[in-house]
Amino acid sequence: MLIKLEDIRRYYTVGTEVVHALNGVSFEVSRGEWVAIIGQSGSGKSTLMNVIGCLDTPTAGRYWLNGKDVSNMSDNELADIRNREIGFIFQTFQLLPRDTALGNVELPLIYRGLRAKERRERARHALDQVGLSNRVTHRPNELSGGQRQRVAIARALVTEPSLLLADEPTGNLDSATGLEIIGLFEQLHRQGHTICLVTHEPTLAARCPRAIRISDGLIVKDGPGPQVALENRTERARAAAT
Amino acid sequence: MSLRVDLLEGGRIALRTLGVNRLRTLLTLTAVGIGVATLLAIVGIIQGLNGAFARQLASLGTASLNISRRPYVMTGDWWRYRNRKQLTIAQMQGLLQQSQLATAVVPEVNEDGRELTVGDESVSGVDLIGTLADFQKVWGYEVPVGRFLTDADSDAERQVAVLGSEVAERLFPGRSALGESVRLDNRPYRVIGVLGKKGQILGQSMDLLVLIPFKTFLAVYGKRDFQIDVAVDDADQLDKLEDEVVGIMRRLRSVPPGSADDFSVNRTEQLADTYRQLTSALYGVAVGVGLITLLVGGIGIMNIMLVSVRERTREIGIRRALGARRRTIVVQFLFEASLISAVGGAIGTALGLGVAKVVSLVTSLAAAVQPLTVLGGILFAATVGLIFGIWPAARAARLDPVEALRYE
Ligand SMILES: Nc1ncnc2c1ncn2[C@@H]1O[C@H](COP(=O)(O)OP(=O)(O)O)[C@@H](O)[C@H]1O
Ligand SMILES: [Mg+2]
Repeated sequence: MLIKLEDIRRYYTVGTEVVHALNGVSFEVSRGEWVAIIGQSGSGKSTLMNVIGCLDTPTAGRYWLNGKDVSNMSDNELADIRNREIGFIFQTFQLLPRDTALGNVELPLIYRGLRAKERRERARHALDQVGLSNRVTHRPNELSGGQRQRVAIARALVTEPSLLLADEPTGNLDSATGLEIIGLFEQLHRQGHTICLVTHEPTLAARCPRAIRISDGLIVKDGPGPQVALENRTERARAAAT
Repeated sequence: MSLRVDLLEGGRIALRTLGVNRLRTLLTLTAVGIGVATLLAIVGIIQGLNGAFARQLASLGTASLNISRRPYVMTGDWWRYRNRKQLTIAQMQGLLQQSQLATAVVPEVNEDGRELTVGDESVSGVDLIGTLADFQKVWGYEVPVGRFLTDADSDAERQVAVLGSEVAERLFPGRSALGESVRLDNRPYRVIGVLGKKGQILGQSMDLLVLIPFKTFLAVYGKRDFQIDVAVDDADQLDKLEDEVVGIMRRLRSVPPGSADDFSVNRTEQLADTYRQLTSALYGVAVGVGLITLLVGGIGIMNIMLVSVRERTREIGIRRALGARRRTIVVQFLFEASLISAVGGAIGTALGLGVAKVVSLVTSLAAAVQPLTVLGGILFAATVGLIFGIWPAARAARLDPVEALRYE
């Protein structure tokens, strides 16, 4: 088991009101799985991803990553976990605008304390993996949206993390480019990476072996991608045809 | 992750940020620069002043002691000194005979604020000194015109005078004073020599003096309270000379063992001490002004760093998401703040040195800045940046990664 969540809750206090972004979520993900997380806007998908990615700490519940209990770790320990175990991919790419593609991909390795030569080698390799070996010295504003997301994926891959987390990675891309990116994830899945991917596009989720649907901070469905992602038979049939 | 990595990465980011935000960097540089410049200019001028003072003191003859009833710098009850027995000629001769180290022993008797006249010309505020030939040796006077006093002048109580250079210039503008007659307290003196120029100490002319033979002085003024100047070859031997002189004088003046000296042994260094006390107050005020300027610069840095933290909130979020610890972020921003300040400090240092230089060219003050002060200026500025960067850096590190990533 790579990750195990047990009754995870995340409450936000806004003024006098308490928002239950996650209201008791429990599930497990095995090594090598590719899980889509779907649900309506505001259902708690991002909150869940942030908790899994150790960017956020739950209000209650327990969370094991790689057999380690993450729930009570210190801020420094969590930073190191993010650096070593997690590869985060965001909807808005979250690249440093003044750094080149290579510089962006190198960044997590700097925080790991690797020497410049090794960093550069590994960053080049990661960019190669996402098909950007000819864009190494470009800055984000010199790249297309799809290329930016590839840089972000390379940055997530470069540390060889246990888990790739992608929060709506195609949300800012046109559908053709989005499909390319999903294709890249498929490829990474085949290579053995463990992936959790948030998407609001059922057709994309349907391509994942497993999908989890959440609503109002609770898991309402967990099963094979097409069954969870697509509401009815016709949708499923259409997706199968494409 | 190691602090080394934090520092390397912090430095790299800081260097690059300096280049990116040029206008902001420039403004900050100016703020800190002016503070450091002010501070350095002041320090430079005062150091220059000190240097000039030290050199002038040295030119007065530091390889000599002055024995007197009173110390140069009187502390406490001056009655104590008044009631001491006067020095005597016999004691002076005893000193001359018994001292192994002394190369010259000479009496000196003074009257302040005399007036000298020649026809319609007059000079007032002149120091009158009655002394002997060795006075020249003790105080290192040059005599470019004529000759110095001789002991024969004294024995014969001749009415002759050696003028300080300023006195000569003012009484005999554009002509030689030699052989001329000057009037001093209604008596005529023939000028036999003019002393070389010594310049000023603390704005006081060292050349506003007139020397007459020792015995002439005693005969005219009837004053017997004189001092003895003792010279030694090398300033390094002053301590030994002082020990010896004190021993001899105690014996000559029959001071019982265990009781305090009934005379004072003075050195020009004591004047330097008083001078330092005096200037340290000035120093304090000036440094205070510079510090306030730096404080303003520091607040400027803090402000700019706060803006920088806000602008780079997302960047902070990204770094945190990728594994940067809080400390890493703190180091990054502290590095940036102190680097900007250090560069400002370096520019300010150059500026301050320039100002000090101009001051030294325009006025007679010789401004001098010691190399250590330059380094100090830069380090000091960096420290100011560091201190005023703490709060912004702490704010940056406290940011919640998730919220930072969402920041628009
Ligand atoms: N920082 C926050 N403060 C208050 N409420 C929040 C915060 N972040 C998220 N929420 C609330 O939590 C719920 C889940 O949000 P989120 O996880 O972003 O949903 P999704 O990603 O599925 O759209 C929403 O109702 C949202 O308004
Ligand atoms: Mg979301």
